[in-house]
Amino acid sequence: MGDFPILTAVTFLPLAGAVLIMLVRAMTGSQETDVATGNKALTAGLIFSVATFLASLVMLASFDMEAEGYQLVEEIGWFANIQYKLGIDGMSLLLILLTTLLTPLSLIASYGSVKTRLTEYTIAFLVLETFMIGVFCAMDLVLFYVFFEAGLIPMFIIIGVWGGADRIYASFKFFLYTLLGSLFMLAAVVFMYLQAGTSDIMQLETFAFAPEVQTWLWLAFFASFAVKLPMWPVHTWLPDAHVQAPTAGSVILAGVLLKMGGYGFLRFSLPMFPDASQFFQPMMFALSVIAIVYASLVAWRQTDMKKLIAYSSVAHMGFVTLGIFSFTEVGVQGAIFQMISHGLISGALFLIVGVVYDRMHTREIAAYGGLVHKMPIYAAIFMLFSMANVGLPGTSGFVGEILTMTGAFLASSWAAAGAALGVIFSAVYMLTLYRRTVFGQITNPALEGIQDISVKELITLIPLVIGTLLLGVAPNLVFDVTRESSLRALQMITGG
Amino acid sequence: MLPDFALLFIVLAPGLAALIAGVFQKFVTDRGAMIITTATVGLAGILSVIQLFMFAFGGGVTEAVHTAGAEGGHGGGHAVAAVQHVITLMTWMDVGQFQANWAIRVDALSIVMMAVITGVSGLVHLYSWGYMSEDPHRARFFSYLSLFTFAMLMLVTADNFIQLFFGWEGVGLASYLLIGFWYHNKAPNDAAIKAFVTNRVGDFGLALGIMAVFLVFGSVEFEPVLSAIKENATVTPLALASAAPVQELVMPFLAWDVPALEVIGILLFIGAMGKSAQFFLHVWLPDAMEGPTPVSALIHAATMVTAGVYLVCLVSPIYEYAPVAAGMVTLIGAVTALYAATVGMAQNDIKRVIAYSTCSQLGYMFFAAGIGAYQAAMFHLFTHAFFKALLFLGAGSVIHGMHHEQDMRRMGGVAKYMPLTYAAMMIGTIAIIGLGVPHTQLGFAGFFSKDAIIETAFAAGENGITFAQLAFWFGIIAALLTSFYSWRLIYMTFHGPREDSMPADTHEADSHADDHLAHDDHAHDDHGHGHHGDPHESPWVMLVPLGLLSLGAIFAGFIFYGSFVGHHQAEFWAGSIYTTPDNHLLEEKYEVPGWVFWAPLVVTVTGFLIATFTYLFNRGFGAKIAKSGGPLHSLFANKWYFDEIYNATIIAGARWLGGFFWKTGDKRIIDGFGPDGVTALAQWTSRRLSAMHTGYLYHYAFVIIGAALVFGAVIFWRVGGAG
Repeated sequence: MGDFPILTAVTFLPLAGAVLIMLVRAMTGSQETDVATGNKALTAGLIFSVATFLASLVMLASFDMEAEGYQLVEEIGWFANIQYKLGIDGMSLLLILLTTLLTPLSLIASYGSVKTRLTEYTIAFLVLETFMIGVFCAMDLVLFYVFFEAGLIPMFIIIGVWGGADRIYASFKFFLYTLLGSLFMLAAVVFMYLQAGTSDIMQLETFAFAPEVQTWLWLAFFASFAVKLPMWPVHTWLPDAHVQAPTAGSVILAGVLLKMGGYGFLRFSLPMFPDASQFFQPMMFALSVIAIVYASLVAWRQTDMKKLIAYSSVAHMGFVTLGIFSFTEVGVQGAIFQMISHGLISGALFLIVGVVYDRMHTREIAAYGGLVHKMPIYAAIFMLFSMANVGLPGTSGFVGEILTMTGAFLASSWAAAGAALGVIFSAVYMLTLYRRTVFGQITNPALEGIQDISVKELITLIPLVIGTLLLGVAPNLVFDVTRESSLRALQMITGG
Repeated sequence: MLPDFALLFIVLAPGLAALIAGVFQKFVTDRGAMIITTATVGLAGILSVIQLFMFAFGGGVTEAVHTAGAEGGHGGGHAVAAVQHVITLMTWMDVGQFQANWAIRVDALSIVMMAVITGVSGLVHLYSWGYMSEDPHRARFFSYLSLFTFAMLMLVTADNFIQLFFGWEGVGLASYLLIGFWYHNKAPNDAAIKAFVTNRVGDFGLALGIMAVFLVFGSVEFEPVLSAIKENATVTPLALASAAPVQELVMPFLAWDVPALEVIGILLFIGAMGKSAQFFLHVWLPDAMEGPTPVSALIHAATMVTAGVYLVCLVSPIYEYAPVAAGMVTLIGAVTALYAATVGMAQNDIKRVIAYSTCSQLGYMFFAAGIGAYQAAMFHLFTHAFFKALLFLGAGSVIHGMHHEQDMRRMGGVAKYMPLTYAAMMIGTIAIIGLGVPHTQLGFAGFFSKDAIIETAFAAGENGITFAQLAFWFGIIAALLTSFYSWRLIYMTFHGPREDSMPADTHEADSHADDHLAHDDHAHDDHGHGHHGDPHESPWVMLVPLGLLSLGAIFAGFIFYGSFVGHHQAEFWAGSIYTTPDNHLLEEKYEVPGWVFWAPLVVTVTGFLIATFTYLFNRGFGAKIAKSGGPLHSLFANKWYFDEIYNATIIAGARWLGGFFWKTGDKRIIDGFGPDGVTALAQWTSRRLSAMHTGYLYHYAFVIIGAALVFGAVIFWRVGGAG
């Protein structure tokens, strides 16, 4: 590819699309009067997000899996010592691919589902996509922070404008939590810049912070990543945000935004604060196991489908932190895999809830039952993802869970045993949900006329079906890409 | 062994057939799906059975002995390297030392299992043509059956623990789908979830066991792990500093430092307890009878539930050097054998009687494996597959013939309407009670395998092996009860007068009656209107499988005794089962006192006589006992109240905890002191502030400057401190 700045192209292509849509709108001066006009904007956005996905495939093709360190690095001075610097390793590559895959799927799912202000809606998603990609390829701490925080705004707007009845409460809760975490991180970023004299991530990785300084910096980053992930006990924003967010918002939130927390731990906490990471291992194990068991039990008692899946997300992200802080190759590889896998599975589950929500306008589990009689294809896909969510071998869910637990077992059999308990509970809540919504007799007369899954909905789900099964059977597709970056992170923590 | 393409076909083709029948059922139609799946699994079954015969009696043996001698060093059953053939399909997971392939491993153990699985599965596919003939979802049903077959084959041909786990949970999925096949009813849905979740409890142990294996051996593949144990190789566990010979290695687990092999053995056995419905984790199996009867025969009798026994035999080196874990296997097995038999005596649902019987027979297999007679355990697994599948399919034939009636109290006198089914059930019953003449080759299949277990248990008891004596006596008592409940089933169902007009109160007494009636409305509505009330004999597609299984129930023990547990066992198993050099149970079983040989026959005849007097000659005597409701009968009839106890403790506890975490943990504490609390505090403060009229600009400026000073001071101090 030569010197073509592919990362910049991938990152800013969606933003360019957003600007273009804004310009067209400003020039024609047309107000969005009906859904048809809005759908045009949505289609334009879809074209840009698909183009971004294709561009990210080019990025994949240019990536050398065997090489160590960061690749496709682009660097331009910005101000002071701070640079506009992008680069990727295997982990960021896959998270970018996940982002560029889920965004067009979310936009497709929005046809007919979102009915107001579609132009702004599309712009918000495109802007969000740029920020998300930026987070995963920023090679400068300040640049990372900018992307990381900026991503809050479009998501805040998406929940606050296109959300459900309680959207204001949910979006403020979301904002309050994440902002709180961010403030600590900002302080840490400033401090690190002052002390190391650079905000270049590659240089910071080799800069040895004094152990007691590490502790504070680690905690500051932890505050931010723990909220994003989210970890117990700062997880309560997630169920509310999910319940109120539109389907596409939930898909992106669960599919990508949560991964920023796990990414942050691997990119910053482990390499830059290795001593502190070691020191906090027991705490991270404890919080991870609590998240898994606690959230799984709470999920079981939910009456709202989206809330149930949101709590299930909290539990599944617990495996990510468990794997990362096992400091073993199995655990870290498993954690990265779990992030990708959970992106596909939770994204699919929120789409699945969206399918029936669009028809019935309720997320109450009790309003459903017997869907299998009217929606057999839907039932089959739902079953597949339920099984993926409970970690059935053959689906990607299993690979992440068994590897992170194995990694944890090497460090602490307590942690592994606690997490394994969560695997039991996941079967309880997921099968209960499935049985109450899909199996049984139709008791709600409103369901009599319900239509099976449409072609549009199939288009959004089929890529995720393929991804979940393919990665379940051939997870080496991921491991081969992430091996170098996992080993690098481990080397920094164990090798000093 | 068969050529590779045939092995690939046996294992993979059922999966492909399941996919076609399931995903493309609209294109292939019900009939197409039935033909594809039945033909595929049937052919796989024929190939597998041929392979078993070849291996036991053909050239396979000499080849096996030859290789075992060459590789093993000290030959026979004590060979270090097992004779096996592995086809690696592709890499599954490659993460550091965590290496797992998709593979097909063929050795004596998997050859036996393949024959059982595909053989019974092929017959069950065929049988289902008749049994499910009026079901509107036949394509789905056959797809699930083939999916199950595929998953089970993947389980037994795995060459690593991870693929074994794939098959393990895969059969769990198929079992879940098939138990809940009639998903519009409550009972099957409940039972399906119960089965899946209970199995998950077992899988909790299995998964931890696999992790412990990885920790100790740095591998999850069978060959390096099992070889290291046999050779007592020195291993350095990952993340532990100390190296030690594996048989003496101590590892930390939870709060304890314990011998590594004991930990692994116990954890893996917890997995086996779940899958094989052993005491404590048995509660799902009787409920699983909500599934269609062919499913009960295939999954919940002949194959899936024996996966736990297979696992224990597969990792025999672990249990050979883990006496505590092996003792636990023996104890749980013996208790299950007796427990399930007591419950089986007091059930009235024909399928539940057979389900508890399965549970009990699995207990025999486990205690045989626990004492070190793995070959006997596998032998009983093998013969049991025939007669138990036969009993279930026979019961299914009765249920089919009686328009989905399952309560034996409403049966009776069926023999004259269904003579062939009656004959098949008689053969199955004689096989399961193990009728045969000691010291001769005269007997049904169960005689050879069950007596081998009883005799080895006695021999093991003489050797002072943990719990072996208890297992022997429990086995003897359970044999008495087995005979009793088996004949009780025959008499209540086939003999006496027709009793299709029961008093209303017994209808209510059977809580499942409603659910079973509900099955009728979709499965059998155009069935038997012309001669309602009269049972009818089943069609040939159902009788042929009964006939073939009957042959197995009669001859399987006689034919394979020499290979499995007799004088040729060392050549037959060819190192796939490992026993320590001082484990001679299979030879010692010939030297037990004479009364041990005769004891099973005596108790079996006793059980037969009691059943005959109470249920044939004095019909109604058993019902009188049931009605009198003695405490012992209540205990048995209510399955020792396991469901009630679990519901009141574990399930209620978890539910309460979930609610508590949600309402109190999340809402009251975290949100209350977190965002909601902060919001409320901010509102309260702003009200106070506005009440005091101090909301001026300089006030905010003051606060901002103050905060900045504090913040700056902290940073300055930290930088200074670090620099």
